[in-house]
Amino acid sequence: MLFILIAIYSIIGTVLPQGLAIEFYIENYPKIGNLIGTLQFDQVYSSWIFRILLGLFMINLIGCTIKILPVQLKRMQKNYFMKPKVDSENLYTEDMDIEEFKSQLKKQKFYIEETKDGFRAAKHRIGNIGSSVTHLGIIIIVLGSFLGNLFAEEGFFNLLPGDVKGFPEYGFSIQLDDFRLGYRENKTVDQYYSDISILRPNKEAEKETVWVNKPLKIGDLNFYQTTYGWASDLLIEDSQGLELEKKLLRNGESFFYEPEQLTVFLYGFYPDFMLTNPGEPISMSEKEDNPHYAVILYQLDENVGSYIVEPGEAIKYNDVNISFEDSTLYTGLTYRKDFGYFFVILGSFLLILGLIFSFYFYSKHVIVEEKSIKTATRQNPWGFDYAIKRLVEKSTKRGEKQ
Amino acid sequence: MTNLVQMEELFFMIAFIAYTISAIAFFIYVALKKDKVGNAAVMLTIAGFLFHNVAMVLRVIESGRLPFTNQFEFASSFTWGIVLCYIVIHFVYKFTAVGAFVMPIAFLVMGYASVLPKNIKPLMPALQSSWLYLHVGTAIISYGSFAVAAGLACMYLISIKREKAGIVQQKGLPDSEACDYMSYRVIAFGYLMLTLVIITGAIWAKAAWSRYWAWDPKETWSLITWLIYSVYIHLRFNRGWKGKPAAWFAVIGFLCVIFTFIGVNNILPSVHSYK
Repeated sequence: MLFILIAIYSIIGTVLPQGLAIEFYIENYPKIGNLIGTLQFDQVYSSWIFRILLGLFMINLIGCTIKILPVQLKRMQKNYFMKPKVDSENLYTEDMDIEEFKSQLKKQKFYIEETKDGFRAAKHRIGNIGSSVTHLGIIIIVLGSFLGNLFAEEGFFNLLPGDVKGFPEYGFSIQLDDFRLGYRENKTVDQYYSDISILRPNKEAEKETVWVNKPLKIGDLNFYQTTYGWASDLLIEDSQGLELEKKLLRNGESFFYEPEQLTVFLYGFYPDFMLTNPGEPISMSEKEDNPHYAVILYQLDENVGSYIVEPGEAIKYNDVNISFEDSTLYTGLTYRKDFGYFFVILGSFLLILGLIFSFYFYSKHVIVEEKSIKTATRQNPWGFDYAIKRLVEKSTKRGEKQ
Repeated sequence: MTNLVQMEELFFMIAFIAYTISAIAFFIYVALKKDKVGNAAVMLTIAGFLFHNVAMVLRVIESGRLPFTNQFEFASSFTWGIVLCYIVIHFVYKFTAVGAFVMPIAFLVMGYASVLPKNIKPLMPALQSSWLYLHVGTAIISYGSFAVAAGLACMYLISIKREKAGIVQQKGLPDSEACDYMSYRVIAFGYLMLTLVIITGAIWAKAAWSRYWAWDPKETWSLITWLIYSVYIHLRFNRGWKGKPAAWFAVIGFLCVIFTFIGVNNILPSVHSYK
């Protein structure tokens, strides 16, 4: 039931956009907007309801494991043999050779124990603890990731070539030496590279490169190549060519020039510029083959002009000239410290191990008595019967068969 | 290179036609109970599988990587996984009629692949990782297994109807108990593979995106599928749950797999939407 509830609650998170303001839900889902807020459907995976469901699931799993583990450990002992079900099929055939059957079982690594009426054979006792190992794996994954997330440290920063970002509490800084794009023949981007130097007091700088799928580990922190962008120099000059203002703007950023009460908004830098049919500027590639800037000017929130200009090309507004030039690529790096990952890996290993024990090393028992061969297993009785029937066929007395 | 592309398309179409005819032949086998038709259907399936392998190898030569990176490639590989799983089951248990319930699924998935764009695109930076092969490779085997299990579950549902009506099972058509257990064993294998899919995905996501789990719709739907099959396996383990409800659960689980593959890619915004 808990599994189903967790699944249903998770589905809601995939259907509804997550993490938006409650007004969005009220506007877009007027009938259930308030309900969405009350039941925290706007933040399903960090909601208290979800945490309670996971908590109950953990309690259930831990309780269940504590309850069944002693029984499973008992079943692993050598002297334990399962009793066949009353209605289980007798696989004995008149023309079979019991000694040959026994030797076939031994060949298949069954442990044999003689009894007064015949013998008992057992194999793969380790399979008995399969479900507990699986449960333990899941418990470690869920608790490890929960605690890991609780204490995780994460951040994001942009660096232009030459910029330094300090991590004083860890005793190092990183400096971006260069950010490069790797290109394919058709000018599309193949990879993003951040060449960085790790700076430590009284030590020589260490050179490293971070790219997508190749994070960099420095102490407890991991650094990931996350994004990139263009930053361009905005230059405001008077009619005589005297520099009044110089500012670095990223795409989508704006600058307020107070003397003219003018906002200069850099809509975007297009290194390989093209205009689409509806008039939307796009870049064909990231190579600076045809660089252009899209700029919008506002005065007191009123659009006073939209321009597409080349590097250095001036936009005249009253007594000033506005231009953009010297565009540079900057990098966006994410850093994260999360000890929970270790537990996720450990739990995953146990989970897989437990499933292999349960599915492929499940406990198998064969009870042989006077003219009776019966099997006993909890996992796959049909399949085990099928395998033992084949062994019985193999153990048929050759002379009589002919 | 153009020749290779044309050859790949040709072998793909031959495989698709072979799967289509084999699915029809399996139906005829179940209806007429003629061994010759059954054997021909199996041979056609194997022939189709061989042609499919040739098509995939040609694509590997063209692209220089395994065919795991867009919807067409995954759909084609998914079909490959279904047919491989069926062939293995056929040679282990010799139940010819299973094909009548599995090959139509292979036909549908291959049909879906045939209408998707087949162009080869270079790998985007996030996909340039060895984890791609483990993550998607296990997904193909897992999804293929769940498809076969769903086919076996349908076969079970029909078998119990026939048994209730007193119709004697024909040769090559397993009884309901065999269908039930085979379906369970195949699900167990698919479940193990799905667990590996999720784990390898988490390890890869940690290297590429800094977080091993981000509740992306594809991740979440994989987890939902995993939860559904967990319920199935748990009930089967502890409650001896089998028969009709288990069969329906196997079918629902597979519908969930299909939604995770097709629905999430096309309907929900996801970082996994590689079209």
